[in-house]
Amino acid sequence: MSSRIEPVPYTDYAKHGLTKDTLLSMLRKMIEIRRFEERVERLFLQEGALIGPSHLYLGEEAVAAGAVGALNENDLITSTYRGHGHAIAKGVPMKPLMAELFGKSTGTCKGLGGSMHVAIYPEKGSMYATAIVGSGIPIATGVGLALQREGKQRVAMTFFGDGATNTGAFHEGINLASVWKVPVIFVCENNMYAMSTRADYAVAAESVASRAQAYKMRSMVADGNDSVSVYLAAKEAIDAARNGQGPTLLECMTYKLHGHGVYDKGEYRPKEEIEAWLKRDPINGLEARLLKANLATQSDFEKIEKEVAAEVEESVTFARASPVLPFDQLAKYVYVR
Amino acid sequence: MPELTYADALREALREEMLRDPRVVLMGEEIGVFEGVYKVTRGLLKEFGPERVRDTPISEAAIAGAAVGAALGGLKPVAEIMYMDFVTICLDQIATNAAKMHFMSGGKLKVPFVLRTQYSLGRVHGAQHSQFFPSIFFQVPGLKVVLPSTPYDAKGLLKAAIREDNPVVFIESGMLYRIKGPVPEGEYVVPLGQCDVKKTGSDITIVAVSRTVTEALAAAMKLEEEGITADVIDPRTIQPLDLATILESVRKTGRLIIASDDVKCGGIGSEIAARVAEEAFDTLDAPILRVASPDMPIPFSPTLEQAYMPNAQKIIEAAKKLIG
Amino acid sequence: MFRVAMPRLDPGMQSGKIVEWLKKEGDRVEKDVPIVRIEGEKTTFEVNSPGPGVVRKFLFEPGMDVQVGQTIAFVGEPNEPLPVEAEAPATLEPVVAQEAFVAPPVVSRVAESSASPVARKMAREAGIDISKIRGSGPGGRIVREDIQRAIEQMKAQPVVAAVSAQGARAVPVARTIKLAGKRKATAERLMYGFHTTVPVTITMEARMEAVLEQRRKLHSQTGEEISITAYVVKAAAKALEDHQIINSSLEGDELRIYGDINVAVAINTPDGLVAPVIPQTNRRSLSEVSRDIRELTERAVQNKLTVSDLTGGTFTVSNLGGYGVDLFAPVINPPQCAILGFGRTSERPIVVEKQVRAASVTTLSLVFDHRIVDGVPAAQYLQRVKELLEDPKKLE
Repeated sequence: MSSRIEPVPYTDYAKHGLTKDTLLSMLRKMIEIRRFEERVERLFLQEGALIGPSHLYLGEEAVAAGAVGALNENDLITSTYRGHGHAIAKGVPMKPLMAELFGKSTGTCKGLGGSMHVAIYPEKGSMYATAIVGSGIPIATGVGLALQREGKQRVAMTFFGDGATNTGAFHEGINLASVWKVPVIFVCENNMYAMSTRADYAVAAESVASRAQAYKMRSMVADGNDSVSVYLAAKEAIDAARNGQGPTLLECMTYKLHGHGVYDKGEYRPKEEIEAWLKRDPINGLEARLLKANLATQSDFEKIEKEVAAEVEESVTFARASPVLPFDQLAKYVYVR
Repeated sequence: MPELTYADALREALREEMLRDPRVVLMGEEIGVFEGVYKVTRGLLKEFGPERVRDTPISEAAIAGAAVGAALGGLKPVAEIMYMDFVTICLDQIATNAAKMHFMSGGKLKVPFVLRTQYSLGRVHGAQHSQFFPSIFFQVPGLKVVLPSTPYDAKGLLKAAIREDNPVVFIESGMLYRIKGPVPEGEYVVPLGQCDVKKTGSDITIVAVSRTVTEALAAAMKLEEEGITADVIDPRTIQPLDLATILESVRKTGRLIIASDDVKCGGIGSEIAARVAEEAFDTLDAPILRVASPDMPIPFSPTLEQAYMPNAQKIIEAAKKLIG
Repeated sequence: MFRVAMPRLDPGMQSGKIVEWLKKEGDRVEKDVPIVRIEGEKTTFEVNSPGPGVVRKFLFEPGMDVQVGQTIAFVGEPNEPLPVEAEAPATLEPVVAQEAFVAPPVVSRVAESSASPVARKMAREAGIDISKIRGSGPGGRIVREDIQRAIEQMKAQPVVAAVSAQGARAVPVARTIKLAGKRKATAERLMYGFHTTVPVTITMEARMEAVLEQRRKLHSQTGEEISITAYVVKAAAKALEDHQIINSSLEGDELRIYGDINVAVAINTPDGLVAPVIPQTNRRSLSEVSRDIRELTERAVQNKLTVSDLTGGTFTVSNLGGYGVDLFAPVINPPQCAILGFGRTSERPIVVEKQVRAASVTTLSLVFDHRIVDGVPAAQYLQRVKELLEDPKKLE
């Protein structure tokens, strides 16, 4: 079990078989997530256009881009209320994502789910997003069971935070996953805080990854602010799962730019800590390394930024123009008919 | 017609559905090697193997959660929670997740699984191993809730539940596992959401669920000796409830008693009484009475438990109160 | 100073519109002179001055809506100070318009004894006063069975239907006579009969020359006076011998054809209409019938009729001819099957062999209960009555 919290040196990219396309698409994903979330933040805080709880992925982009980037398109993920990043990484289009935040009928959940469930998009293999901390882990075990029985070597990947690893559901789910040896990658986004509760206080273990030992499960640690680090770790876990070697607990060390929810500034965190992590910004980091490796130019980045900005704005326009489901239409969604 | 026990009828349902649909997978504590604490899953591990009959650790949240996830992933799981008392451990998975997933996803997600459980009121299991609270699920729209009272209904309803596209909570009665009843050979299904009128009469309507159905029928037979005849209606599914059949009966008799094993406060009877009062007020010739367990935990001592439970005598007394 | 208030022209009216002031401020008016036209919910109505005086002030312009009860004008002497306009008084005093007469509802609310919802509903629909019912349910609760029983019993008793007058025009009430005693009983009985029977009227004209001739002869020979009514009563009774279906009454599902023919004769008294009975009328001679009628009339006018006199009637005859009526359709006397009314015998033009001639004719009106008998048998009965009158020798 390795504990890497350093980015993979760009000089190793070739060694790991990482192509320019893969790297640029990883970067693009991170930029999409960043600009989308920044726009959402402005819609909440400055424009007052959105309402309700929302938990932004700002700062953690490398985890989604890296981990999901290592999956095949037909692999499945489940997410949580901090799911905008996972959804975008999995290829959920921005328009229905933004529309769902606006509560419109064109949203991923027709406006019935909201920010905490926005990642639900089975068309792209994003199977669920739960708002209950920890409850997604046993569900992921179940999804893994279904894939195992299917026999087509698809894998499932689920995301959760450090706080979730203290819930009963986590331990029950991980245990059962290990018992059944399901093809699931359990990705813990350890951003050091569960709301304002520090992980080094609440997690009674050496590390989240070390908990896997108690369940005879493989574990790995990656630098959650380096998408390449996450990608490589995830790839290893995915391959193991595909080959019937069971589940992996992948701990990614990362940090939120802001607080727990969109209104939370995260000021309970020490200033120096925030500053230190800001210096490790995943997007800036990858861009710098790509430039140094001569795998991309500034104008490549500008092009991506321009396209992403347009896409984000388009999604806001789309969301604004979309209608809301009429209330008398709601009853039919209680049951499958 | 052959007779089967309630437990055997359930097993036949499981077996037939597992043969019919390879997606059906069982999971739960003690269902495989031990063959089930009530022997409902006897022989199934042997026939279908550990891939499809999965013994689980003691982890209700994981059992229910895995069922949810497996359903999401395309299987048709039937998860067993050994005692209804343990359902509260996995209530998050069933109520907060499964029940809402179809609605919350704007109709995109389907979670077709059956959560089987039973309640042991009457078997001297004490306060924490006897609870029965089906009406909790009234407050969680998105689930279907089924309660069979006979072997015939048990088999037919379980088959229907497994074929459902919605999550179903299937509540069996521990006291009924050994009762025998006619179960036809050959394929049959009892549709969800339909009452069964188990006896007809014209003076009172008795609605009863699960174990109390036998009590209601016994009460009705006794009342007949005094010239009072009763409609005995078994809803079988309480969510969604077939209110129309109950209303039709109340319009005829004008008098309603609802018998169930849950505690009176907020029990099934409360909801049915409210609906009937709302829809058929002008046909009521007497107040609506509920015969239910008293509002207290279940006492262990056997005679005390007997005194606690709804029974035919209490139903008869209620009927007398209505008729005067 | 007289205060004119917005009246309540119909029970549901909350406010009225001033349509037009019919006088000007400063005009002198007498009592009951119209001073303003008001539009209520359904009609337009003129409000009169409550007393003599000068129209001192109008408080609203035409076109304005004013709450019922609010002052709209003052009429008084020029030197009187105008009062401060009061809000609508606590009790509404309609100065000019009397409130339309609204009959009290028949069914009263049950406060004390409990009744089940279905019992209440059934009582309401059947017009039964639930407070009069004794409950047989638990704790004395009135239950469905009790109302069912009451409905059965009610069939023998008459029912007062609620009469509610929606006052389109408020009419001053000169005098109130409480409906009581005989009047009330008659009203109740006739209402019941009217509501249960299916009355159909058929009329025939009967030539009365033979009767008149016979009467004249008898009077000149013996001095005996036999009234026309006696002839009709006797004819009606005799005709019933061959048309027994009409000598009957319907009780629920049972048609009772009576063994005796007892014709009741409608007699007008200062206290109202009574119909004493001539027992076995068909067996009485014409003279006896005539004397019976006279005797009963005397006793009726003196209020000396007995219960026996007034019960047991199987058919009724009613005559308004003495008051100038030619033809009328009386109300069947319940529970009888039919009633025969006839008007005055008068000279009328008739056509005989294409020639117009004068003849003595009376119009017979048979009102029969179609539940019991159809038009053809009723007509046949009336035909027989006519036959007997036109050939009175057949009466004995």
